[in-house]
Amino acid sequence: MPSLEYRLRQHRRRTLVRSWEYRQRRHAHGVWFRLRRVLANASAACVISGEDARALMADGLRPEPVGHELDPPKLIIFAPAERIAGLATARPVAVRLSAEVLAAECLALTRFEGSRDEN
Amino acid sequence: MAFRDRLVATIRAARPIVELPDILIIGSEVPNLLQPGAAATLVVSLDLDIGVPVHRHADVKERISELVEFTPSADEPSVWTPHSPHLLEVNFVGMDPAQDPADAYVFEDDRLPMMVFGALSLVCPGASTEIEGVRVRLPHPAGLLLEKLVTERTGEKGERDLLVALGLLDAVSRDDLEQFDAAYRRLRPELRHAVRSNLTVLSLMDPRAGMPDPRPRRADVAALFRRLEAGEGQGS
Repeated sequence: MPSLEYRLRQHRRRTLVRSWEYRQRRHAHGVWFRLRRVLANASAACVISGEDARALMADGLRPEPVGHELDPPKLIIFAPAERIAGLATARPVAVRLSAEVLAAECLALTRFEGSRDEN
Repeated sequence: MAFRDRLVATIRAARPIVELPDILIIGSEVPNLLQPGAAATLVVSLDLDIGVPVHRHADVKERISELVEFTPSADEPSVWTPHSPHLLEVNFVGMDPAQDPADAYVFEDDRLPMMVFGALSLVCPGASTEIEGVRVRLPHPAGLLLEKLVTERTGEKGERDLLVALGLLDAVSRDDLEQFDAAYRRLRPELRHAVRSNLTVLSLMDPRAGMPDPRPRRADVAALFRRLEAGEGQGS
């Protein structure tokens, strides 16, 4: 049964990789989970300019720590939808790990209703 | 031929097996069969997964010759390929309730070997339902949802499997979610992390043809994620 044995080896290899990833979760490799976690809690996303990002921070909104773990770093800020709508540079993008989202230097996100502020 | 017709025809053709005690339909067809009237509009798949508890393997083997419309694949002996293009493949998958959810083994047999995936130990029998004259037993949605989310998902098939989880989310009741939550809390931390990680992947996925669209369900996925994350320690 070589095919079943092959599948078994593949399964065990994936399990080992997952265990390694789990042990890495607080370190650099875990950054992808932390980034997905932030995005998964966002109902909407906009690319914004650095100036608008600083304006949000001047309002007392704090950037998500995961943004500083990326290289180059990003400012990822949750803000109320109406506040984001008032930003001159806000450009909506789909909430997913797209090239557009990964290339953005500053992102303004809207939380899903019921999601708590964890800053 | 409509997909539902192929699915129903396959279940009929596999009747000698699927009506045996403790045999479950598992996998991607479950969301289709849980729809009212087994409408089968959620997931388009080319196979029917049949879960065989290892203690029932002998019973299945005894009746396997009655699967006259299928032939075991030479490449993959747990897969039985149909003679007709109007039927789906049948995959036999072993289930062992005593197994660790992260483990897997090969149940060796000259006629019907099977992969036994530990994540299926999280699956327990749910309601039986009649599909056009054939009585089949489906898994409890909570356990199958957890199995779909705890399993390591990579590549195209992995993403499709996560969309099956999305289809199951459509079918679960509040009580099912309570059971899902309780079963999740019993998992060890690494596996709980895997579940949450898969939920974030599901939340950010693009839609795929023939599969549930994840975008309108992102709020539900986020709510489930928050529910699971509540009570987790920092960094777990």
